[in-house]
Amino acid sequence: METFLQQLINGLTIGGFYAVVALGYTMVYGVLKLINFAHGDMFMWGTLAGWGLLTTVLAGLTDMDLVAILVTAVLVMAFIGMMGMTIERVAYRPLRSAGRLSPIISALGAAFALQSVARNVSHARWRTYPQGLLKGLPTLRLTDEVAVSGLQILMLVICAAIMIGLYLFVQRTRVGTAMRAVSLDHNVSRLMGINVNRIISIVFFIGPALGGLAGLLIGIYYGSFNFTLGWVFGLKAFIAAILGGIGNIPGAVLGGFILGISETMVVAYGPDIGLANASAWKDAIAYVLLIAILIARPTGILGETVAEKV
Amino acid sequence: MKRISVVIVLLAMVLGPFGLIANAQEGEPIRIGLQGPMTGDYAYEGQGFVKAVQLLVDQVNEEGGLLGRPVELVIEDDAGDPTQSALVADRLIDAGVVAVIGAYNSTATEPASEIYNENGILHITPSSTATRLTEKGFAQFFRVCFLDDRQALFAVMAMKDVLGAQKIGILHDNSTYAKGLADWTQVYAEEAGLEVAFFDAINPDDQDFTPILTNIGGASLDAVYFTGYHAQGGLLLRQTAELGLDIQWMMGNASNNPEMVEIAGVDAAAGTFITTEPLPQDLEYPEAVEFVEAFTEAYGEPPASVWWLLAAEAFNVIAHAIQETESTDTEVLAAYLHEEFKDYPGLSGPIIGFDEKGDRLGTIHALYQISEEGVITYYPEQPQPQAEE
Repeated sequence: METFLQQLINGLTIGGFYAVVALGYTMVYGVLKLINFAHGDMFMWGTLAGWGLLTTVLAGLTDMDLVAILVTAVLVMAFIGMMGMTIERVAYRPLRSAGRLSPIISALGAAFALQSVARNVSHARWRTYPQGLLKGLPTLRLTDEVAVSGLQILMLVICAAIMIGLYLFVQRTRVGTAMRAVSLDHNVSRLMGINVNRIISIVFFIGPALGGLAGLLIGIYYGSFNFTLGWVFGLKAFIAAILGGIGNIPGAVLGGFILGISETMVVAYGPDIGLANASAWKDAIAYVLLIAILIARPTGILGETVAEKV
Repeated sequence: MKRISVVIVLLAMVLGPFGLIANAQEGEPIRIGLQGPMTGDYAYEGQGFVKAVQLLVDQVNEEGGLLGRPVELVIEDDAGDPTQSALVADRLIDAGVVAVIGAYNSTATEPASEIYNENGILHITPSSTATRLTEKGFAQFFRVCFLDDRQALFAVMAMKDVLGAQKIGILHDNSTYAKGLADWTQVYAEEAGLEVAFFDAINPDDQDFTPILTNIGGASLDAVYFTGYHAQGGLLLRQTAELGLDIQWMMGNASNNPEMVEIAGVDAAAGTFITTEPLPQDLEYPEAVEFVEAFTEAYGEPPASVWWLLAAEAFNVIAHAIQETESTDTEVLAAYLHEEFKDYPGLSGPIIGFDEKGDRLGTIHALYQISEEGVITYYPEQPQPQAEE
C-alpha cells in the first residue's frame, strides 16, 4: 500500500508535466484544427533558454533561487511565446487555406528546424542546470516509506495553477470567449467583429509560453536535459491530448495524468505479474490502453462529437 | 535523349574521383576511417576520439608518414545509432579507407562490423565491449578494450569482496552493451553465491526513473550494479537522492565520465562505485604518461575518458601493423595481428596479443569511487585479481 502511494505520487508528477505540455497542443487544435508538431520542441527550447539564462546572465542570482527563477520564468515565457507567434506567422498563416496536409508538414518542418538549432546551440551534449536550485524546500514524509519532495509538490501546484488559470481564462474572459467563438467558426466570428488573426496570435503566444514554462520546470526538476527532450515529451503530451479529447482543456489534463500514472504502474507492478523488463513494455501497454480508449470513445475521454460543417 | 547524356556526363564528373581513390597509388595518402558519435547522447566520447586519434596522425605525418605515404583520417558521425552506423560504414568504404577505428557503443559497432567484414576492411573498436561482437568469426575485427564478461566478473568480485554484499540488484538499459554486461554479471554473481534479488531495465529515452527506483528501494539490496550509460546514470543517482532512498550504487564503465557527476550533483553522486578501465592519468606506463602529456599540451586538458586513449591505441595498433608488414592489405594485416603481434607496449599497458576471435588478452579493470568532492578516485581497496581461465 505504501509503495503504491509512492508510485502514485511518481506517476502524478510525470503526468503533471505531460498535462501542461498537452495544453499547448489542445489550444492550437481548438482554434485551428492543426496539430502543432513544433510544440514539443518549443517546450524543449524553454528548457534550453532557461538553462542559458540561469548559467550565464542570471548565474549571479542563483543564490537567491526564487528571484532568479521568477525572472527566468518571465523571460522564458516571453521568449517562447514570441517564438510561437513567429512560427505561426511564418509557417502556418500562409498555409491556412491550403488544406490540411500542408500545415502539418510545415509544423513538422518547424519542429525539425527548432531541434536542429538546439542541437547545435547545446553542442549535442547533456546540459545541466545549476545544482541545488530550490533545495531549501522540505521533503514531506507521509510515512516511513512514502516521501514527497518539496520540488514535487511545487511542480504539481504550479501545473494545477496553470491548468485552472487557463480554464478560467478561456471560460470567463472576453478574449477567452472570442477564442471559443473562433474555434467554432472563423468566418462567423469575423462577422461578429472578432479579429481572428489577433486571437490566433494570442493562442500561439499563450500555448508556447506555457510550454516554455513547463520546459523550465522540467529543467529545474530533473536537473539535466538534451535536445531530444522535446521530441519524447512532445509525443507523449500529444497522445495525452488526444486521449483526453483534443481541443478540450480539462481533457488534456486528464489525459496527461492517465498516461503518466499508467506508465508508472506498468513499470512498478509489471515484475509482480511476471513481466520482465517492464520499462520496455511500458510504452506498448500505455498505447494499447490508448487504442482501447479511442475505440470506445473515438473523440477522446472528454471530447465532444462535433457535427461536420457542410 | 539529350537530357540523359547530360546526366551521364554529370555522373561521370561526380563519380570519377572515387574511381581514382579506389586505385590508390604510391604517394597517395593512406586513409584510415574513424567512425563514432560526433552528435547525440555520446557526442562527448566521439569528439574525444577525434582529438586523440588526430593527435597521433599528426605525429606520424610529421615523422614522414607510414611506408612513405601520409596518413589521412576520414571522420564520420554515426550518432551512436545503428542505422546511421551502416550508412557511415558504406561511406567510409567509398572513401577508400584501409582500416577503420570505431564505433563507440556496441549497438553502433555491430551493423558496421558486418559491412566491414563483407568488404574486407580491417576494423578495430576502441570501446565496444559486448561479448557477441567477436562471436561471429570475423577474421579482420579486433578490439583493444576488454570484454563485458571480464568486467562482469570483476564487478561481482568487487561487490562481494570489497562491499561485502550478499543480496544484489542489476539494472541495464536494453542496449546491446548494457544488457550483455548485466547478463554476465548475473551469471557470475550466481556462481559466486550472491543472491540476485532484482534484475530489470530502464528505457534510456525516459527522463524520470522514479517508478523503478521506488521498486529498487523497496527490495532492500546491499548493492545495485547499473550497466548503462552516464547520462542515465546521473539521472538515477539524482532521483535516488530526491526520493530519499538509500541505495549503494555501482556503475559499469560506460558511466565512467565526469559528466555523470555533473548531472547527478555532487551530493547525490558521492559514494558511488564505478568499475572501469583505469583513467588515463592513473596509468603508470611510460607510453600512457607521454600520451597524456602530449594530449594535455595540444588541447589544454587531459583526456577525460579512457575510451579516447583506447581510440589512440587502436590507431597505434593499425599503424604498427602497417609498418611491420609493409602492407595495407587487410588479410596480411589481420594475419599479422592474430599471429605475430605480441607484447606490444600499449598506451593502456602491454598488449599481450589478440586471441583467435580478435579479443585482447588479459584484463585491466579497476574499482573507483566518487569522492565527497565529486571526483572519480581510485579506490584503495581492490578485489583480488581473478585467475586467468
